[in-house]
Amino acid sequence: MAETDDQELDPRTDYPLGTHRPDLVRTPTGKRLEDLTIEAVVSGELAAEDLRIAPETLLMQAQIAEGVGRRQLAENFRRAAEMAPMPDERVLEVYNALRPSASTKQQLLDLADELENEFAAERNAALIREAAEVYERRDLLLAEN
Amino acid sequence: MTEADPQPGTRRSARTEILENRPVQLDGFVEEWPEVGMIAMESPYDPDPSIRVEDGRIVEMDGRERADFDFIDQFIADYAIDVGSAEEAMALDAAEIAHRIVDPGVARADVLALTRGLTPAKLLRVVESMNVVEIMMAMQKMRARRTPANQAHSTSARDNPVQVVADAAEAALRGFAELETTLGVVRYAPLVAIALQIGAQTGRGGVITQCALEEATELALGMRGITAYAETISVYGTEAVFTDGDDTPWSKSFLASAYASRGIKMRFTSGTGAEVQMGDADGKSMLYLEIRCIQVAKGAGVQGLQNGSISCIAVPGSVPSGIRAVAAENLVASMLDLECASGNDQSFSHSPMRRTARTMPQLLPGTDFVVSGYSGVPNYDNMFAGSNWDPEDYDDWNTIQRDLKVDGGLRHVAEKDILATRERAIRALQAVFAHLDLPEITDEEVEAGTYAHGSEELPRRDVREDLKAAQAVMDRGITGLDLVAALEKGGFRDIAENLLSVLRQRVSGDLLQTSAILDHQLQVLSAVNDANDYAGPGTGYRPSGERWEEMKKLRHVISAENPEKEVE
Repeated sequence: MAETDDQELDPRTDYPLGTHRPDLVRTPTGKRLEDLTIEAVVSGELAAEDLRIAPETLLMQAQIAEGVGRRQLAENFRRAAEMAPMPDERVLEVYNALRPSASTKQQLLDLADELENEFAAERNAALIREAAEVYERRDLLLAEN
Repeated sequence: MTEADPQPGTRRSARTEILENRPVQLDGFVEEWPEVGMIAMESPYDPDPSIRVEDGRIVEMDGRERADFDFIDQFIADYAIDVGSAEEAMALDAAEIAHRIVDPGVARADVLALTRGLTPAKLLRVVESMNVVEIMMAMQKMRARRTPANQAHSTSARDNPVQVVADAAEAALRGFAELETTLGVVRYAPLVAIALQIGAQTGRGGVITQCALEEATELALGMRGITAYAETISVYGTEAVFTDGDDTPWSKSFLASAYASRGIKMRFTSGTGAEVQMGDADGKSMLYLEIRCIQVAKGAGVQGLQNGSISCIAVPGSVPSGIRAVAAENLVASMLDLECASGNDQSFSHSPMRRTARTMPQLLPGTDFVVSGYSGVPNYDNMFAGSNWDPEDYDDWNTIQRDLKVDGGLRHVAEKDILATRERAIRALQAVFAHLDLPEITDEEVEAGTYAHGSEELPRRDVREDLKAAQAVMDRGITGLDLVAALEKGGFRDIAENLLSVLRQRVSGDLLQTSAILDHQLQVLSAVNDANDYAGPGTGYRPSGERWEEMKKLRHVISAENPEKEVE
């Protein structure tokens, strides 16, 4: 997935994005903040999918976080950007698979591959592969049958 | 107790009799037992700080080689600590680092440049060298957001949505920036979470809400827009207890990003005493283990942490220097540039004096959320097992703010305004329930809920019907948007607008940054655009202007113009 390097954001002048840079903010469905009105809710024009964050916006917030020296927070947002297009149920499935004794090593490695192939989720895949290694070392994997 | 066993016929001191009957004697105190972790800090069994870096990687930390790292060590070494600055920072004397943290003349940013390179044992030594006053001085500078805020609970012993909506509205009006609820019966969650959200937006648009549940369920509710943030995402300081809690730093990191991927604010929760309470402290002090938790939070990249012992407060509260350790753990979170929702949210003492003293190290310097669960309902209704503060303390809280000119986030509100907002909130919920075909809220309930103090004064609801309806909310896929539409159709346009504003925040993600809240104008205020700039007397946040005037108001203040009257 392409990183949003187009915009050089300055935390001092561009944040909050909603106030200072609404021009940059879109819902995943392409709507602008000003489109998200009561009238649109009542008319049925607005759906739940319109009130989500787009990967591009998460990458912008990552830039803001980086700009104020919060690199781990930025990394969290970059992982989140990969996850934004994933369906809710899938996200919950992956979370549950990462819990202790929930998955075998192979299951975790396969999961990492799937997320990488389906969602280009490189950072999440790396996190899951690392988890597989640590869980093996610390005996937290589901026993193979 | 044994000191007081008199021999028959021995005359007792009249004073001792009085002291024996003081409420503080009902609290539990134990001698330190360091071997099992019943020690707040300064334990002989905590590791000595050390670090070794090879090829840009930490290969030894606090006396352990990498091959022997448990998963917490590994996660901290690889994610939390800034390897580039570690060796230089670790070489400094702990007291020297403490000096720089306490000294108002050393900028917050310069402190962060140091603390990011420290190991858990080193961070421990740093705060161990501070007394509680120094900890408070340091907190004043290190808190992430310049403006302090406060958080309340709104729950019901009967999971009664009518009570929750009314008390949420009152709490929001009184000044809380965040509201939290939880359940006695988990299946009631959808209705109670809806009530909390609507109550919040009635009292003051922009107050954000959470519903404390099991991890996956809480995320599911957040995804629907019925709640706005999450907090009870727990991390623990020993590997055994962490896995007992059915998670790892990796699963928690993924969960943290899951929330962010939906534009939902979240923080982790941890606290001194959790590990010894859950049966495995690995022989370490409470504060040492808590610092590991704080660094796990840092490494995961969450914006903030709720800590200050939280539900385990009776544990550090039972040992010497326990409340000092609790102040220290809040400080360490702030020292690592995390938002800190600083406890004070659990009953731990029968002594009103002790309850007040316990809160001073957070209230006086200010934290991001001074109380991370002030009970907005009487403690018998508090489903978090009782908070250190409840509505019967509101006037004392406001008085302390006025006495000391300290902003604890709250204000006195006239009874008529409280009643009006409570009634309006219940009416709004009534309309939403009607519109969504949920069990009726009667006019009798509106009246009772408006004037009630607690659930005992409310008519019983048909719980079976409510639970069926709660399930229907989930099955029908009802979301925050449906609540907006229902409010609008019910004639509560302003509340609908408030809720839509909160939901709209997900799209921009501005609320994801460190210490983010919405102010009275529904604008985001966070550590990014409201950074703490405290640098000594005359600087930083000080209540002034309108806010100070507001803080001066109490229930009964004699008028200067006419001493026969009170100020309106």
